[in-house]
Amino acid sequence: MRRIFAYFISLQLLFSGGSLIAQDTVMFPLKIRVGFDIAGPGIYMTDRNNLSLEGYISYDGNEKRTYVIEAGYLNYKYSQYNYDYKSKGVFTRIGVDFNLLKPEMSLGKYWAGVGLRYGLSVFNSETPLFKYENYWGTVTSSIPSRTRTGHFLEIAPGVRTELFRNFSMGWTIRLKLLISGGGGKDLRPIYFPGYGNGGNRTTAGFSYFITWNIPYKIKTVITKPEVVEEETEEEAGNADTSLQLRP
Amino acid sequence: MKRFPSLLPLLLITAFTAFAISCSPEACFEETNSFLKASFYSNSTKKQLAPDSITLTGVNQPAKKIYDKAKGVQPALFPLDASAGSCTFEIRINGMTDTIQFRYTSFPHLISKECGYTFYHSLDTFFYSMNAIDYIYKSSNSITTANEENIRIFY
Repeated sequence: MRRIFAYFISLQLLFSGGSLIAQDTVMFPLKIRVGFDIAGPGIYMTDRNNLSLEGYISYDGNEKRTYVIEAGYLNYKYSQYNYDYKSKGVFTRIGVDFNLLKPEMSLGKYWAGVGLRYGLSVFNSETPLFKYENYWGTVTSSIPSRTRTGHFLEIAPGVRTELFRNFSMGWTIRLKLLISGGGGKDLRPIYFPGYGNGGNRTTAGFSYFITWNIPYKIKTVITKPEVVEEETEEEAGNADTSLQLRP
Repeated sequence: MKRFPSLLPLLLITAFTAFAISCSPEACFEETNSFLKASFYSNSTKKQLAPDSITLTGVNQPAKKIYDKAKGVQPALFPLDASAGSCTFEIRINGMTDTIQFRYTSFPHLISKECGYTFYHSLDTFFYSMNAIDYIYKSSNSITTANEENIRIFY
């Protein structure tokens, strides 16, 4: 019976691998974050026809995964030789950020990873004037204001770092895929909140966030030591032998 | 500390690509006019046959010829008047003149942000004289910027 018990322990040691090897731990602060995009107001300083305001709230589920809700407002005007266009409305995105940094490197201060988002946009779009010219002459027409709903998906890689205590900055690239722009196949919106150029199936955007971090919990994260495989087996073997020799 | 340097080039490449996409020059390279496309067929052989000579003019637009004794036209492109529900053309095929009237509905269509809007049409019906033309067959109602045949003219 004693011998069976010894074998049972040695098998446990063999399969549990590093669980009995000395482990490092990291005190990882889980945080709630509130952030504001400064890229949109920055663009507005140079282009008064494009006002985009955006912010987010996020919640660390664990050291790797953060749940995010973003919301924003867009007031966009565009004019070129053959048409004028206006779009105004709000959007929200919900999704998850995945931190690709190891906890011992991230420490709740640094983030480099990728986010996945679903976006919903409710907006009014209007074409007050457009011109069409062909053999029969020039036709001037307009498309009246209508409320539309757009849907899109995003992959958002980026980085963020804590500059001061509980204040972070970072940027995110937004690679967007249009599901629906809300105008049917003939009257796709030229530009709509949260997505951008609705004439394109894919588009890209950029956000630069200033973030206030609110730690709400400290999590003890076990970091796995990087042990060479042969050493692990050897150690397991030694442990096995030593245990078997015990009476 | 090992993982960050391998991520950085990837993020920089992504940033550069996104920047390049978002800052691409805004020029229109697409077709902005929608035409009714008419293919010519020989009524005797029922095979595609371009006329030796074709002249096409919009009625009430005598000074502006769409084709003027043009050879090898296949298909012929008929521009429709978006401000009206019908328009009439005078067509001269191999020296014999006919008139064709098209009735249709028009609606705006966004081509792209760069190009703006055009009008698409839905062909309802048409009327024609039968000097050179034997008959006309409608193959598609949808008149767009796409290269899709709308009618077949048998002559």
